[in-house]
Amino acid sequence: MDILDAQESGDKWEVQLRKGCIELAILAALWNEKLYGLEILRRLESDSDLIVSEGTVYPLLSRLKALGLVRSEWVESDAGHPRKYYALTPAGKQRALQMSRTWVRFSSSMDKLLAPLGKGK
Amino acid sequence: MTIPGDAEQKIEIYLGSLRARLRSMNDESARDIVEELRSHILDKAAASGEVTASGVDAVLAQLGSPIELASEYLTDDLMMRAEVSRSPVRILEGLFRWSSLSLAGFAVLLLSLTGYFLGVSLMLTAVLKLFHPQTAGLWVIPSGPDDVQISLRMGFGGVPPDGHDVLGWWIVPVGQVLGCGLIVLTTRFALWCVKQYRRAHLFPRG
Repeated sequence: MDILDAQESGDKWEVQLRKGCIELAILAALWNEKLYGLEILRRLESDSDLIVSEGTVYPLLSRLKALGLVRSEWVESDAGHPRKYYALTPAGKQRALQMSRTWVRFSSSMDKLLAPLGKGK
Repeated sequence: MTIPGDAEQKIEIYLGSLRARLRSMNDESARDIVEELRSHILDKAAASGEVTASGVDAVLAQLGSPIELASEYLTDDLMMRAEVSRSPVRILEGLFRWSSLSLAGFAVLLLSLTGYFLGVSLMLTAVLKLFHPQTAGLWVIPSGPDDVQISLRMGFGGVPPDGHDVLGWWIVPVGQVLGCGLIVLTTRFALWCVKQYRRAHLFPRG
């Protein structure tokens, strides 16, 4: 594998890693409050390094709803049109907790493994 | 909020195209999706102040083509309906969609079609044995010096020369039980695969 291939496969790995985190990121964004689609997108951009395209997040929210992890309701707004707000269901909260525990456990064990790489900089 | 006519027209064309592609979904779900996206477009376009036609263009470009967006929703809807309804027709509908997206989907579709075909054939043969007692059944037919052909015959046509009806009247209960069992097993297998697909594709595709 040449240097260019290694770079490309590293980029693909990062894309897959980010994609795998989106579900947890959305559930975490909804942990304390209900949000509508655009607010979720903005929260992901501001509080995490996840840039999710708009055409991705709406079908994903619909999938989470179909799986019973979030519920939605239409709320009238000052903007003159209603907005669809999402909130976690009890199953969604449970799933978020379970995923967050797995994340913390995994990342701390990876930190240990990666510690020598940091010293080598 | 005031929306200029040209901006509103662009929004309507985009949402109209999306709505047309979502027509196989139930009305309420399709309307919900379209209204949510309308709300998003208006919010995003108004974020920089006034809603303008060029602002709407930029928002629509970020959303992607209505064809791709509709495809995401439709695949999810078909797979969800397959899982909820448990009907072989709905399951096959979902599997046909999945098979157009990946090789794994194609393999699952092929296995499921084979399972359903064999199951239905066994049950049909069992029923047709009552009407064609001499010819319907599971036949072993010599097709060469050291070769035999195993054939499930519905009874249309004559008795195969040198052929042997293996089960005789036993095809009636055996065909019904095996056929029914195969259909149930195929349905369970396909539903399990659909469930795995839905979990695996919770995060964005691509």
